[in-house]
Amino acid sequence: MVLTKDMVAGLVSTGGSARVDADVAPIFKAGDRVTGRNINPVGHTRLPRYVRGHTGVVDRDHGVFSFPDGSSVGQDKPQHLYSVVFEAEELWGPDAADNFKVYVDMWDDYLEPAP
Amino acid sequence: MASYKHTAALPDTVLRVKALESLLTEKGLIDPAALDELIDTYENRIGPRNGAQVVARAWADPEYKKRLLDDGTSAILELGFSGVQGEDMVIVENTPSVHNMIVCTLCSCYPWPVLGLPPVWFKSAPYRSRAVIDPRGVLKEFGVELDPDIEIRVWDSTAETRYMVLPLQPEGTDGMSEDELADIVQRDSMIGTAVVTAP
Repeated sequence: MVLTKDMVAGLVSTGGSARVDADVAPIFKAGDRVTGRNINPVGHTRLPRYVRGHTGVVDRDHGVFSFPDGSSVGQDKPQHLYSVVFEAEELWGPDAADNFKVYVDMWDDYLEPAP
Repeated sequence: MASYKHTAALPDTVLRVKALESLLTEKGLIDPAALDELIDTYENRIGPRNGAQVVARAWADPEYKKRLLDDGTSAILELGFSGVQGEDMVIVENTPSVHNMIVCTLCSCYPWPVLGLPPVWFKSAPYRSRAVIDPRGVLKEFGVELDPDIEIRVWDSTAETRYMVLPLQPEGTDGMSEDELADIVQRDSMIGTAVVTAP
Protein backbone atom coordinates (compact mmCIF):
# COMPACT_ATOMS: atom_id res chain seq x y z
CA MET A 1 0.00 0.00 0.00
CA VAL A 2 1.40 3.36 -1.00
CA LEU A 3 1.13 6.19 1.53
CA THR A 4 -1.01 8.98 0.09
CA LYS A 5 -1.22 12.62 1.07
CA ASP A 6 -4.51 12.23 2.93
CA MET A 7 -3.05 9.46 5.11
CA VAL A 8 -0.11 11.53 6.36
CA ALA A 9 -1.82 13.50 9.17
CA GLY A 10 -3.32 10.36 10.73
CA LEU A 11 -0.09 8.44 10.49
CA VAL A 12 1.99 11.25 11.97
CA SER A 13 -0.30 11.89 14.96
CA THR A 14 -0.87 8.22 15.75
CA GLY A 15 2.49 6.56 15.23
CA GLY A 16 2.94 3.07 16.59
CA SER A 17 4.17 2.24 20.04
CA ALA A 18 6.63 -0.60 20.48
CA ARG A 19 4.98 -1.27 23.83
CA VAL A 20 3.48 -4.75 23.93
CA ASP A 21 0.39 -5.63 25.90
CA ALA A 22 1.65 -8.98 27.13
CA ASP A 23 1.81 -10.54 30.55
CA VAL A 24 5.55 -11.00 30.78
CA ALA A 25 7.15 -11.08 34.23
CA PRO A 26 10.04 -8.70 34.84
CA ILE A 27 13.35 -10.32 35.74
CA PHE A 28 14.66 -7.20 37.49
CA LYS A 29 13.23 -4.35 39.54
CA ALA A 30 14.24 -0.80 40.37
CA GLY A 31 17.30 -0.78 42.64
CA ASP A 32 18.72 -4.10 41.36
CA ARG A 33 22.41 -4.12 40.42
CA VAL A 34 22.77 -5.45 36.90
CA THR A 35 25.58 -6.06 34.42
CA GLY A 36 25.34 -5.54 30.68
CA ARG A 37 25.90 -8.93 29.07
CA ASN A 38 29.06 -9.22 27.02
CA ILE A 39 27.31 -10.43 23.90
CA ASN A 40 28.28 -9.56 20.36
CA PRO A 41 25.39 -10.47 18.09
CA VAL A 42 26.05 -10.62 14.38
CA GLY A 43 22.62 -9.15 13.66
CA HIS A 44 20.76 -6.06 14.83
CA THR A 45 21.01 -5.06 18.47
CA ARG A 46 20.32 -1.93 20.52
CA LEU A 47 22.86 -2.82 23.20
CA PRO A 48 25.63 -0.20 23.10
CA ARG A 49 29.15 -1.61 23.31
CA TYR A 50 30.15 0.84 26.02
CA VAL A 51 27.90 -0.82 28.62
CA ARG A 52 28.73 -4.45 27.81
CA GLY A 53 30.41 -5.97 30.85
CA HIS A 54 29.68 -2.93 33.00
CA THR A 55 27.53 -2.79 36.11
CA GLY A 56 24.76 -0.31 36.85
CA VAL A 57 21.53 -0.05 38.79
CA VAL A 58 17.98 -0.42 37.46
CA ASP A 59 16.46 3.05 37.74
CA ARG A 60 12.96 2.23 36.49
CA ASP A 61 10.97 -0.39 34.62
CA HIS A 62 9.42 1.05 31.45
CA GLY A 63 7.14 -1.96 30.94
CA VAL A 64 7.02 -4.63 28.25
CA PHE A 65 8.39 -3.71 24.83
CA SER A 66 9.11 -5.40 21.55
CA PHE A 67 12.69 -6.74 21.56
CA PRO A 68 14.63 -5.39 18.57
CA ASP A 69 17.21 -8.18 18.33
CA GLY A 70 14.32 -10.58 17.78
CA SER A 71 11.80 -8.43 15.92
CA SER A 72 14.46 -7.43 13.37
CA VAL A 73 14.53 -11.03 12.16
CA GLY A 74 10.80 -11.64 12.52
CA GLN A 75 11.05 -13.44 15.86
CA ASP A 76 9.93 -10.96 18.47
CA LYS A 77 10.36 -11.77 22.14
CA PRO A 78 8.57 -9.02 24.09
CA GLN A 79 10.16 -8.37 27.48
CA HIS A 80 10.68 -5.71 30.11
CA LEU A 81 12.68 -2.65 29.23
CA TYR A 82 14.51 -0.76 31.98
CA SER A 83 16.42 2.42 32.36
CA VAL A 84 19.76 1.38 33.84
CA VAL A 85 22.03 4.01 35.37
CA PHE A 86 25.82 3.71 35.17
CA GLU A 87 28.31 5.78 37.13
CA ALA A 88 30.88 7.57 34.93
CA GLU A 89 33.82 5.79 36.62
CA GLU A 90 32.27 2.38 36.00
CA LEU A 91 32.10 3.12 32.27
CA TRP A 92 35.22 5.19 31.71
CA GLY A 93 37.63 4.29 34.51
CA PRO A 94 39.22 6.25 37.34
CA ASP A 95 40.06 9.20 35.07
CA ALA A 96 36.43 9.68 34.03
CA ALA A 97 35.09 13.22 34.08
CA ASP A 98 33.47 14.20 37.38
CA ASN A 99 29.92 14.03 38.62
CA PHE A 100 27.86 12.49 35.87
CA LYS A 101 25.87 9.35 35.18
CA VAL A 102 24.60 7.70 32.02
CA TYR A 103 21.10 6.23 31.78
CA VAL A 104 20.70 3.52 29.14
CA ASP A 105 17.49 1.74 28.12
CA MET A 106 18.10 -2.02 28.26
CA TRP A 107 15.92 -5.11 27.84
CA ASP A 108 15.99 -8.19 30.09
CA ASP A 109 18.03 -10.15 27.54
CA TYR A 110 20.80 -7.52 27.70
CA LEU A 111 21.21 -7.90 31.45
CA GLU A 112 22.40 -10.34 34.05
CA PRO A 113 22.42 -9.98 37.85
CA ALA A 114 25.58 -8.20 38.99
CA PRO A 115 28.00 -10.50 40.81
CA MET B 1 16.78 24.16 -0.74
CA ALA B 2 18.82 25.05 2.32
CA SER B 3 22.34 26.31 1.96
CA TYR B 4 24.80 23.42 2.27
CA LYS B 5 27.47 25.20 4.22
CA HIS B 6 25.36 25.11 7.40
CA THR B 7 24.68 21.41 7.28
CA ALA B 8 26.67 18.20 7.08
CA ALA B 9 24.70 17.06 4.03
CA LEU B 10 26.96 16.58 1.06
CA PRO B 11 25.84 17.26 -2.48
CA ASP B 12 26.56 13.58 -3.22
CA THR B 13 23.99 12.59 -0.61
CA VAL B 14 21.46 15.02 -2.01
CA LEU B 15 21.96 13.62 -5.50
CA ARG B 16 21.55 10.09 -4.24
CA VAL B 17 18.31 11.03 -2.45
CA LYS B 18 16.98 12.71 -5.58
CA ALA B 19 17.82 9.66 -7.70
CA LEU B 20 16.16 7.33 -5.20
CA GLU B 21 13.07 9.51 -5.00
CA SER B 22 12.74 9.59 -8.80
CA LEU B 23 13.14 5.84 -9.04
CA LEU B 24 10.63 5.10 -6.27
CA THR B 25 8.14 7.51 -7.82
CA GLU B 26 8.54 5.99 -11.29
CA LYS B 27 7.97 2.53 -9.86
CA GLY B 28 4.84 3.75 -8.07
CA LEU B 29 6.19 2.86 -4.63
CA ILE B 30 5.85 6.36 -3.23
CA ASP B 31 3.45 9.22 -3.83
CA PRO B 32 5.41 12.49 -4.15
CA ALA B 33 2.40 14.43 -2.80
CA ALA B 34 2.59 12.38 0.41
CA LEU B 35 6.31 13.12 0.66
CA ASP B 36 5.63 16.85 0.28
CA GLU B 37 2.96 16.62 2.97
CA LEU B 38 5.36 14.84 5.33
CA ILE B 39 8.08 17.41 4.73
CA ASP B 40 5.63 20.30 5.18
CA THR B 41 4.36 18.74 8.40
CA TYR B 42 7.81 18.58 9.98
CA GLU B 43 9.13 21.82 8.48
CA ASN B 44 6.17 24.03 9.28
CA ARG B 45 3.73 22.43 11.70
CA ILE B 46 5.56 20.18 14.15
CA GLY B 47 8.60 21.60 15.88
CA PRO B 48 10.12 22.74 19.17
CA ARG B 49 7.35 25.30 19.76
CA ASN B 50 5.23 22.30 20.77
CA GLY B 51 7.74 21.28 23.42
CA ALA B 52 8.01 24.89 24.60
CA GLN B 53 4.25 24.90 25.25
CA VAL B 54 4.59 21.72 27.29
CA VAL B 55 7.42 23.25 29.36
CA ALA B 56 5.52 26.51 29.90
CA ARG B 57 2.44 24.62 31.05
CA ALA B 58 4.55 22.56 33.48
CA TRP B 59 6.10 25.71 34.92
CA ALA B 60 2.75 27.44 35.27
CA ASP B 61 0.73 24.51 36.57
CA PRO B 62 2.24 22.26 39.29
CA GLU B 63 -0.50 19.66 38.83
CA TYR B 64 0.28 19.43 35.11
CA LYS B 65 3.98 19.14 35.89
CA LYS B 66 3.24 16.22 38.20
CA ARG B 67 1.29 14.44 35.44
CA LEU B 68 4.02 15.23 32.92
CA LEU B 69 6.76 13.67 35.06
CA ASP B 70 4.53 10.73 35.93
CA ASP B 71 3.31 9.90 32.39
CA GLY B 72 4.90 12.10 29.75
CA THR B 73 3.00 10.63 26.80
CA SER B 74 -0.47 11.30 28.28
CA ALA B 75 0.37 14.75 29.60
CA ILE B 76 1.80 15.80 26.22
CA LEU B 77 -1.34 14.48 24.52
CA GLU B 78 -3.38 16.81 26.77
CA LEU B 79 -1.88 19.65 24.71
CA GLY B 80 -2.69 17.83 21.48
CA PHE B 81 0.76 16.51 20.65
CA SER B 82 1.29 12.82 19.89
CA GLY B 83 2.48 10.37 17.32
CA VAL B 84 5.50 9.10 15.45
CA GLN B 85 8.67 9.05 17.59
CA GLY B 86 6.77 10.22 20.67
CA GLU B 87 4.67 7.16 21.43
CA ASP B 88 6.43 6.56 24.77
CA MET B 89 7.71 9.79 26.26
CA VAL B 90 9.74 10.23 29.44
CA ILE B 91 10.31 13.74 30.79
CA VAL B 92 13.39 14.33 32.93
CA GLU B 93 13.40 17.35 35.21
CA ASN B 94 16.30 19.71 35.76
CA THR B 95 16.67 20.94 39.33
CA PRO B 96 19.19 23.22 41.03
CA SER B 97 21.36 20.13 41.65
CA VAL B 98 20.68 17.99 38.53
CA HIS B 99 21.10 18.75 34.83
CA ASN B 100 19.80 16.28 32.25
CA MET B 101 20.85 15.92 28.64
CA ILE B 102 19.64 13.66 25.85
CA VAL B 103 21.61 11.73 23.25
CA CYS B 104 21.10 8.75 20.99
CA THR B 105 24.51 7.10 20.72
CA LEU B 106 23.22 4.42 18.34
CA CYS B 107 21.50 6.63 15.76
CA SER B 108 19.34 9.75 16.00
CA CYS B 109 16.29 8.92 18.19
CA TYR B 110 14.52 12.17 19.03
CA PRO B 111 11.03 13.14 20.29
CA TRP B 112 9.47 14.40 17.06
CA PRO B 113 5.97 15.44 18.29
CA VAL B 114 7.44 17.91 20.79
CA LEU B 115 10.74 18.93 19.19
CA GLY B 116 10.31 18.27 15.46
CA LEU B 117 13.17 16.72 13.53
CA PRO B 118 16.62 16.56 15.14
CA PRO B 119 19.26 19.18 14.35
CA VAL B 120 22.24 17.97 12.30
CA TRP B 121 24.61 18.14 15.29
CA PHE B 122 22.36 15.80 17.30
CA LYS B 123 22.89 13.15 14.60
CA SER B 124 26.62 13.78 14.25
CA ALA B 125 29.16 11.19 15.43
CA PRO B 126 31.09 13.71 17.61
CA TYR B 127 28.01 14.66 19.67
CA ARG B 128 26.80 11.06 19.91
CA SER B 129 30.15 9.68 21.02
CA ARG B 130 31.23 12.49 23.34
CA ALA B 131 27.96 13.20 25.16
CA VAL B 132 28.29 9.98 27.18
CA ILE B 133 31.98 10.33 28.06
CA ASP B 134 32.49 14.09 28.44
CA PRO B 135 29.11 15.77 28.88
CA ARG B 136 30.61 18.77 30.70
CA GLY B 137 33.05 19.36 27.86
CA VAL B 138 30.26 19.11 25.28
CA LEU B 139 28.07 21.50 27.28
CA LYS B 140 30.95 23.96 27.51
CA GLU B 141 31.14 24.00 23.72
CA PHE B 142 27.44 24.84 23.69
CA GLY B 143 28.22 27.76 26.01
CA VAL B 144 26.86 26.08 29.13
CA GLU B 145 29.21 26.04 32.11
CA LEU B 146 27.69 24.13 34.98
CA ASP B 147 28.84 24.31 38.57
CA PRO B 148 30.93 21.18 39.34
CA ASP B 149 28.46 20.35 42.13
CA ILE B 150 25.64 19.89 39.62
CA GLU B 151 25.19 16.25 38.70
CA ILE B 152 24.79 15.61 34.97
CA ARG B 153 22.49 12.80 33.89
CA VAL B 154 22.91 11.74 30.28
CA TRP B 155 19.97 9.80 28.83
CA ASP B 156 20.94 7.53 25.94
CA SER B 157 17.81 6.82 23.86
CA THR B 158 18.74 3.24 23.04
CA ALA B 159 15.15 1.94 22.91
CA GLU B 160 11.74 3.26 21.80
CA THR B 161 11.32 5.55 24.79
CA ARG B 162 11.89 9.17 23.84
CA TYR B 163 13.25 11.69 26.32
CA MET B 164 12.71 15.41 26.73
CA VAL B 165 14.26 17.69 29.34
CA LEU B 166 12.08 19.89 31.51
CA PRO B 167 14.45 22.83 31.94
CA LEU B 168 14.78 24.81 35.15
CA GLN B 169 12.52 27.85 35.17
CA PRO B 170 14.70 30.96 35.38
CA GLU B 171 14.32 33.14 38.45
CA GLY B 172 12.17 36.20 38.13
CA THR B 173 9.76 34.69 35.58
CA ASP B 174 7.01 33.62 37.98
CA GLY B 175 4.72 36.42 36.92
CA MET B 176 4.92 35.64 33.20
CA SER B 177 1.99 34.18 31.28
CA GLU B 178 2.19 30.72 29.78
CA ASP B 179 2.62 32.19 26.28
CA GLU B 180 5.39 34.47 27.48
CA LEU B 181 7.10 31.53 29.19
CA ALA B 182 6.86 29.42 26.04
CA ASP B 183 8.61 32.20 24.12
CA ILE B 184 11.76 31.97 26.26
CA VAL B 185 12.09 28.17 25.92
CA GLN B 186 14.38 27.29 23.05
CA ARG B 187 14.89 23.87 21.47
CA ASP B 188 18.32 23.09 22.91
CA SER B 189 17.13 23.59 26.48
CA MET B 190 14.75 20.67 25.95
CA ILE B 191 17.62 18.50 24.66
CA GLY B 192 19.70 19.64 27.62
CA THR B 193 22.45 21.42 25.71
CA ALA B 194 21.23 24.85 26.83
CA VAL B 195 19.64 26.41 29.86
CA VAL B 196 16.72 28.84 29.78
CA THR B 197 17.51 32.40 30.80
CA ALA B 198 15.11 35.16 31.78
CA PRO B 199 14.39 37.65 28.98
